[in-house]
Amino acid sequence: MAKLRHIAIAAKDPDAMADFYVKAFDFKIVRSNDGPLAYGHHLSDGTIDLAILRFKTDQLGRGMDYTGLHHFGILVEDVDDAAKVAEALGGRHYMDQADPARTGGFEVKMYGPEGVLFDIAEHPWTGTEPLPAKVKEAAE
Amino acid sequence: MPKLRHIAIAAEDPVAMAEFYKKAFDFVEVGRPNGVLADGVFLSDGTLNIALLKFKTDQLGKGMDFRGIHHFGVLVEDVEEFSKKLESLGAEHYIDQGQGGHQAGYFEKKFFGPERILFDIAEHGWAGAEALPTPVKQAAE
Repeated sequence: MAKLRHIAIAAKDPDAMADFYVKAFDFKIVRSNDGPLAYGHHLSDGTIDLAILRFKTDQLGRGMDYTGLHHFGILVEDVDDAAKVAEALGGRHYMDQADPARTGGFEVKMYGPEGVLFDIAEHPWTGTEPLPAKVKEAAE
Repeated sequence: MPKLRHIAIAAEDPVAMAEFYKKAFDFVEVGRPNGVLADGVFLSDGTLNIALLKFKTDQLGKGMDFRGIHHFGVLVEDVEEFSKKLESLGAEHYIDQGQGGHQAGYFEKKFFGPERILFDIAEHGWAGAEALPTPVKQAAE
């Protein structure tokens, strides 16, 4: 089974917001970045990536001043297969990761029902748990 | 460490949305909540509760037609202790679950964090979500 492993929040001040969740829940900052799509911090609870980002483009069509929960990400066995299945079910492809060598983040972005944006990736987000099958494989 | 164990999506048609995620990612339906705050479908990936909900009130102040990811939930060891901590960090308490005692599978307290991000905390866990890991010391005893 695929696993939901990433939740992204659109924030005006990612530094202050990340500091809140670190202090409140002991989440760890596992990566900070300033890329073409967003600036911000990735926090981990050991299982899931909580990304607190100031976006540089309007991915949701809600305007650049939108703040709130933004998208989620699903870890899959095979990103191409998962994208094909999602498209066959009515999902709409939005964009691919521009740098195919970059892992630990989204690989494909899609819009699902009602325009809800989600990522899929076959490499775990930084600081997150891999798929259970991969854990079993690594132990063998 | 507390764990993210719940994500809620505001949907116009939770049943149709649930069908998509069940078929696309093999998520499993674990409930059909019908409460004063929302109706919908609970899915699980074995770790998280993924709630697809048609809300009955405007919790976010973004209007009743808001569609998209609505809030998340964090499983903690002690809700009262974390409530105090959250408020000391500037979070604003919003509402508590139920007047008639704990309803299994739901949030226990809702807070607004920085920039009015809504999140739940619970110590009993959402339907279909994994429990907190047993501390290593406790497990060894």
